[in-house]
Amino acid sequence: MHMVAYESSSSVNDIQLITRVVAGDAAAERELYETYVDRIYRLTFRLAGDDELARDFTQATFIRAFEKIGSFRGESSLSTWLHSIGLSVTLNGLRKTKRQRNREAPIEEGITVGSTRVEAEPDLKERLARAIDSLADKYRTVFVMHDVEGYTHEEISGTLNIPVGTSKSHLFQARSKLRVMLADFAPEWVS
Amino acid sequence: MTEDKFEEFLKKTAQSYNAPPARVPRDEMWAAIQAKRSVGPRVVYGGGATYVVGQRRFGTKVWLGAAAAAMLLVATGVGIGRWSASPSTPNVASSNLPVPGVVVPNPDAGTPGSVTPAATVPQSGGGTSRGSVDRTFSTKAPAVASNNTQQRRPELPNTNLSATGPSSAYQLTAVQHLSEAEALLTSFRTRSSADQQMDAQLGAWARQLLSNTRLLLDSPVANDPQRRPLLEDLELVLVQIVQLSPGSTPQDRELIEKTLQQDHVMTRLRTAIPAGAQRGS
Repeated sequence: MHMVAYESSSSVNDIQLITRVVAGDAAAERELYETYVDRIYRLTFRLAGDDELARDFTQATFIRAFEKIGSFRGESSLSTWLHSIGLSVTLNGLRKTKRQRNREAPIEEGITVGSTRVEAEPDLKERLARAIDSLADKYRTVFVMHDVEGYTHEEISGTLNIPVGTSKSHLFQARSKLRVMLADFAPEWVS
Repeated sequence: MTEDKFEEFLKKTAQSYNAPPARVPRDEMWAAIQAKRSVGPRVVYGGGATYVVGQRRFGTKVWLGAAAAAMLLVATGVGIGRWSASPSTPNVASSNLPVPGVVVPNPDAGTPGSVTPAATVPQSGGGTSRGSVDRTFSTKAPAVASNNTQQRRPELPNTNLSATGPSSAYQLTAVQHLSEAEALLTSFRTRSSADQQMDAQLGAWARQLLSNTRLLLDSPVANDPQRRPLLEDLELVLVQIVQLSPGSTPQDRELIEKTLQQDHVMTRLRTAIPAGAQRGS
């Protein structure tokens, strides 16, 4: 509810800002960048887990946005549109570089031995990170956006161009898989 | 543990997942964005890493593999050529050289019919080593030329390379190299002006070809009066491409384009390749 109010109040400013950017106003470009760069960078960093990649993805997001902003129709908020570009760039980049941490292999073992408690268990946070890494992109993205970065399902829906119900379903699936993967920490979670 | 508690645990614990730094490098990223945008209108997704979207026709491995194969081929060819031209294989590089004591000086010495092929005429001192024969050539050939009224190029034999083994090896190597160079220059001219990743790949490829070009310049292939200038011009262009840094300006690229156009490098390359292929086949 709060986010809806935020978007509607910012849309007027967005339109003005976009108009100035399209007109070639360098200061407006910088203003647009300063307004959204933090959220874009945080999200790309969460997904990439690497500063260099996050910077690259963020830069590519804004370069593409400035190039395409003339075709922005205003059908969604500027924030949603920018996040759409950011996620597209980030997920495509991660898929192509295959540099998503080397923690994927060990998680396979974690899944298979989920029912047995490991005595010398590594740090829980590290284990959770591995589990999140092992999620499919569509689940991991929704989980990170909602549970980690605090995006609403409406925002996720607009950004990923999926129905709100699908966003909720993906989040449910993500949590369920994590619960199974982390079962050896607390077997009572699996019921 | 209930579902609510698990969700609460997840949200709390997951805050440490890929936690971004407190300070967002705004200024650094803005500077990088401005630099990339100033390069050209085309967008490079992902800032020059390996995730350039939709512009790359071949992967890095393909380019590097092609470059490595080309280098191996050229090195092998040059090696075979040098080995074949060693003392164990006489009368190889001298098929058209005037042989002292064999060619009778006459005013028509510059015409093809005036030179008797060394292979068909018994040489004086046939029992001597190949090395001694070569030394004789190198010291006496100018004297033969001085006996003639026409100027004669000492290294002219390499213009006719199709008849002998080592010459064919050199020839094949040269043709392959020129083909590779043509492919590189074509790729260079057709690439996106903002594709820095492509520039880096082309730079690596050009570096390989530059080494091979210099090898060929030191080989008998470069004795060809037409081929040597071509190789020298090619060397210049390759040096320019190698020196192209990711942050190079469009003017740098224009300079290379001008070199290519003014020296007609592409035309000369394309002319040399089919002719070389015919001789080499």
